[in-house]
Amino acid sequence: MARVRGLSTPPPAVPSIRSIVALSLPAAAAVAVFGSLYGVAARGFLGVPLTLASSLLVYSGALQFAMVALLGAGAAALPLLLTAGVLNLRHLVLGAALRSRFESGPLRRAMLAFFLVDETFGFAIAAGNAAEPRAVGAATERTLLYSGLTLYVAWIVGTVVGVLGGGLAAVEGLAGALFPVLFIGLAALAARKRSHVVRALAAALLTAAVALLLPDLRMIAPVVAGVVVALPGGDE
Amino acid sequence: MSALLLVAIALITYASRAAAVVLLPRPSPRFETILSRIPTPIFASLATATLLSDGGALVGGPTLAAAAGALLLSPARSLLLCLIGGAVGYAAGTLLG
Repeated sequence: MARVRGLSTPPPAVPSIRSIVALSLPAAAAVAVFGSLYGVAARGFLGVPLTLASSLLVYSGALQFAMVALLGAGAAALPLLLTAGVLNLRHLVLGAALRSRFESGPLRRAMLAFFLVDETFGFAIAAGNAAEPRAVGAATERTLLYSGLTLYVAWIVGTVVGVLGGGLAAVEGLAGALFPVLFIGLAALAARKRSHVVRALAAALLTAAVALLLPDLRMIAPVVAGVVVALPGGDE
Repeated sequence: MSALLLVAIALITYASRAAAVVLLPRPSPRFETILSRIPTPIFASLATATLLSDGGALVGGPTLAAAAGALLLSPARSLLLCLIGGAVGYAAGTLLG
């Protein structure tokens, strides 16, 4: 009951559900486009039921596209499981960064964890940064939940459109362009000190270097770079 | 691919999301300071990663122009302005390309 009451009557400085959904809509549109492309690509390897089940249960675009690529290359179970383990490593870092802002109990955190993806992490961090100090936890959790639901629904709808043969390839370029724009905007929102900007530039250079020199690690490079540049320095 | 394998992949994915969020105790102030520095570099890194294709080459001109448009407006620290800058950049890149 407390949770329901907390969601229906937010304290001041906690974003409304409508504003969270509105903020998430551009990303949701892009996610729906990629969901449709995933549906088209996966249908041939997984069949319709498993393609839909994969989006319902996994909810990870990067991993699901990697799964399809591996299946196309004839991979067996072990490479698929190892790939899932490696690609998901970044969630440990994102989760740790969010954990310090969460205030609710383990059950609610367990529910919220399902919605942790790169974009929702960004929205949640930005909402926490914008909230009053006493409302950081509520703003972060609420934003993760509702932006997560919005993107989850978009991913499912996109997958359904894809398996029904309606891939939105015509707007793939536009949808693909949204992700760097979104992450640049989220970086700008999250940067509260000059040192954050310097670390961001260093992480971007490090990621580019890893992508060029160690292309197999490209998928985990962003998180590795983010952690590496965050470590040096004392209390700021 | 079997349903069992799919469920295993889903469980690995969920476990990775829940591990830190559910099991980690509230971090110490020192650790919290480090964690607070992580989001900005990660977003910058993710933006960089989305501008590189599999072989490490840059993505197409319109996407680069969109990123440049967003970057130009990033000092305003507004997601909406970054999206607008990205849209203008993408349109310019498409027209010029």
